[in-house]
Amino acid sequence: MTIENVKNCCIIDDDPIFIYGTKRLMKEIEFCENFLIFNNGKEAIEGLVNDNKNEGELPCLILLDLNMPVLNGWDFLEAISKIKDKNITKIPIFIITSSIDPRDLEKVKNYAFVHGYLTKPITSEALDGIKNTLDL
Amino acid sequence: MNTNISEELIALATVPVAQLDSNLCFINYSPTWLIHFNISDTNIIGKYYFDVFSDTPIEINELLTLCLQGQENTNLKGKKFTLPSGRTQWLKWKMYPCKNDAGEVDSISVILEDFTKKKQRINLATRAEKVANIGGWHADLLDNTVYWTRRAKQIHEVPYEFVPTLNECIDFYKIGEHRSRINKAINTAINTGNPWDEEAILVTAEGKEIWVRVKGEAETHNGKTVKLYGTFQDIDDKKKIELKYRAVAKRLELSTKAAKIGTWEYNILDKTDTWDSNMYSIYEVNELEDQVLYDVWKEKIHPDDFKKVDDEMQLAIKNGKNVTSEFRIQTGHNTIKFLKSVATVVKNQEGVPSQVVGVNWDITEQRLAQQKLEKSRESFKYAFEHSAIGMALVGLDGKWLEINQSVCNSLGYSKAELLKLTFQDITHPNDLEKDIELLEEVIKGNRISYQIDKRYFHKRGGIVHALLTVTAVKNYDGTVSHFISQIVDLTSRVYQENKLRSLVDVTRKQNESLYNFAHIVSHNLRSHSSNLSMLKDFLDKEKDEKEKENLMNMLGSSVNSLSETVAHLNEVVQITTDVKVKMRRISLLEAINTVQKNINVNIAEQNANVILNIDGTHFVHVVPAYLDSILLNLFTNALKYSFPNRTPVLEISSKNVGGRIILAFKDNGLGIDLDTHGPKMFGMYKTFHAHKDAKGIGLFITKNQMMSMGGKIHVESEVNVGTTFTLSFNSN
Repeated sequence: MTIENVKNCCIIDDDPIFIYGTKRLMKEIEFCENFLIFNNGKEAIEGLVNDNKNEGELPCLILLDLNMPVLNGWDFLEAISKIKDKNITKIPIFIITSSIDPRDLEKVKNYAFVHGYLTKPITSEALDGIKNTLDL
Repeated sequence: MNTNISEELIALATVPVAQLDSNLCFINYSPTWLIHFNISDTNIIGKYYFDVFSDTPIEINELLTLCLQGQENTNLKGKKFTLPSGRTQWLKWKMYPCKNDAGEVDSISVILEDFTKKKQRINLATRAEKVANIGGWHADLLDNTVYWTRRAKQIHEVPYEFVPTLNECIDFYKIGEHRSRINKAINTAINTGNPWDEEAILVTAEGKEIWVRVKGEAETHNGKTVKLYGTFQDIDDKKKIELKYRAVAKRLELSTKAAKIGTWEYNILDKTDTWDSNMYSIYEVNELEDQVLYDVWKEKIHPDDFKKVDDEMQLAIKNGKNVTSEFRIQTGHNTIKFLKSVATVVKNQEGVPSQVVGVNWDITEQRLAQQKLEKSRESFKYAFEHSAIGMALVGLDGKWLEINQSVCNSLGYSKAELLKLTFQDITHPNDLEKDIELLEEVIKGNRISYQIDKRYFHKRGGIVHALLTVTAVKNYDGTVSHFISQIVDLTSRVYQENKLRSLVDVTRKQNESLYNFAHIVSHNLRSHSSNLSMLKDFLDKEKDEKEKENLMNMLGSSVNSLSETVAHLNEVVQITTDVKVKMRRISLLEAINTVQKNINVNIAEQNANVILNIDGTHFVHVVPAYLDSILLNLFTNALKYSFPNRTPVLEISSKNVGGRIILAFKDNGLGIDLDTHGPKMFGMYKTFHAHKDAKGIGLFITKNQMMSMGGKIHVESEVNVGTTFTLSFNSN
């Protein structure tokens, strides 16, 4: 059974090494070829809203880190929940973080558009799980 | 018949006899005439009758004249005359005309008796018999006849013609005790000649029962009783009154006995005294003959009380005043009785105190109850005064009536000051309403007491926390008279509690931050370790040398990050160690100057303008190394986040507010959006600007250092305008 590729993946993280590793892994297991990278929540919101305006292609999913400068992951989620544009709000979001704090896990449940909570490091199995969740 | 009476005969007459001539002048008279009529003249011969009797009935003149004309006149029953002077005179007489040889009346003989006095005596006796209700009787035992006077018949309610026999007399007495007593008395009198005096009930002919007093005496002849005589007296009214009086007296006696009231009398004049039987039983002594009751009393009275009571009594007798006293007597084995005594001095007709009448009664029970009450009152008073709990009596209007020392100690007022206030005056306004509400419920009778936590104001203005218990004290009619308030001062306890609570709060916060810290550590270490393991996996598989080198660089950078993180954690951990021993009082200005000198290069690089407005007298109590670190952090932040193309201006000023030194650190830099970042401003690894050197650790450490020194840090900021950090330090 051939698994279809994710067309376009958005990664929001301030750690360049994580971004490098994730991109490399996704390419290796043919999860995704195209990436949209933002280093914090603020950049991401601005970027996504702009892309939508410019009729650029929106990502099929978002991997979101929690600890970031300027606007962190939570700030990003708050900002997304205030956006009315369905094209943006329908994008499935996966939290990917080093935090194993149960309070964070609990807090995530408040956001319906968050589809999963993954802890770093990211693995090929975790990416398969995302695919299954998205029913691709 | 010679009617002339010889002179000799007249001289011998024992009745008043006189002979008058035709001119009604005395020819002769008996000596008794002068005596009987009380005539002072020694010789009245030849004197005119009406000159001798100046005050004599006119009718006699007529009779004497008629007699001279030969008409004889006799009245032996007697006749009542009213004399010209108005006096009454009863006279009996015999008048005879005396004829001479020629058969002419030449003189008259007069026998005249004045029985006015005798008549008056009889009248008096009759009247006395009637007034005193006394009837007379006599019985002739020889012919067995009985005579009753009119009054006697009236007493028996029989007609005047009724003549009783002796047996009938006896049958008038009420059958039973009364009749047999009279019967016996009469028989005794007949047999022995003894008189009697009895009171008995007599049943009259009409069937009415009356009390009579019957007296009788015997008349004997040759040793044999021949006659009985005596009186009946109707004593019904008197007897009934007496019987009534006796009943009252008996009742009085019974009631005094029941009430155990002893009565005594002391006759001052002959110094004799009398006790009634109650007195003897109160004093528990036997009634003996020749007892001197004063001595008995003196023996029984408690020696400590004798003089006082005796003096009081003597004074009362002397002044003729009444006296009330209380004293103890000793009866039996060490038994003490408390007696109350009231004595009244009675004066005789001359106004001289003659008698003391008094009563004694046993008030031992009452006294013991009173003593008990006093004792309990005293012990309450003692408990009230010395209680460690505040106690007060409070009026219905909230006025303090009585306060113990504990209340004064708690509230800081003197007793005199508090008595001028009401509880409302010194109650915290927020607690007043519920207190008054409950108090009114007690007054209405809906509850007996209540207990609340409330606050008072200390005289110095501070708050006094108290547990108040209020209980109502009621009058006999059930209305509330006043309140007993118990005030337990909880101030020190509340203070301790607050201290404890803040300690718990600190602990809770510390726990929380420790928990956060643990997760931050875990997060940071995990993020580095996951990067390291990932890079290692790639390295293992990588064939391309160039890519290998790239991975090695990344690996190096990741290791650096890890060691930097560990260094941060170290710094944070150090803050938690005890700072107290390192605290010093240092000049704020000097500390700032030192830090400024150290970063002079950076300031110069950015061409920043630092304006110092620090009072040289401001000293702060800090850990010097922490203050250096804090100041350095604030300086570098201000420079790091300066607004592009704007000369950084840094204004640093200080002021003393209530003993604390407030340091303001104001810049004109980028500013921070506090709406977004406010809550995590001083959080660990929180960064707000996309600056390459932003680590999110500086402010976290600054905040923790300030807190550990008992200081505070606060931030105000406006995006694109600038940020002001305000720090508050202990100055001593």
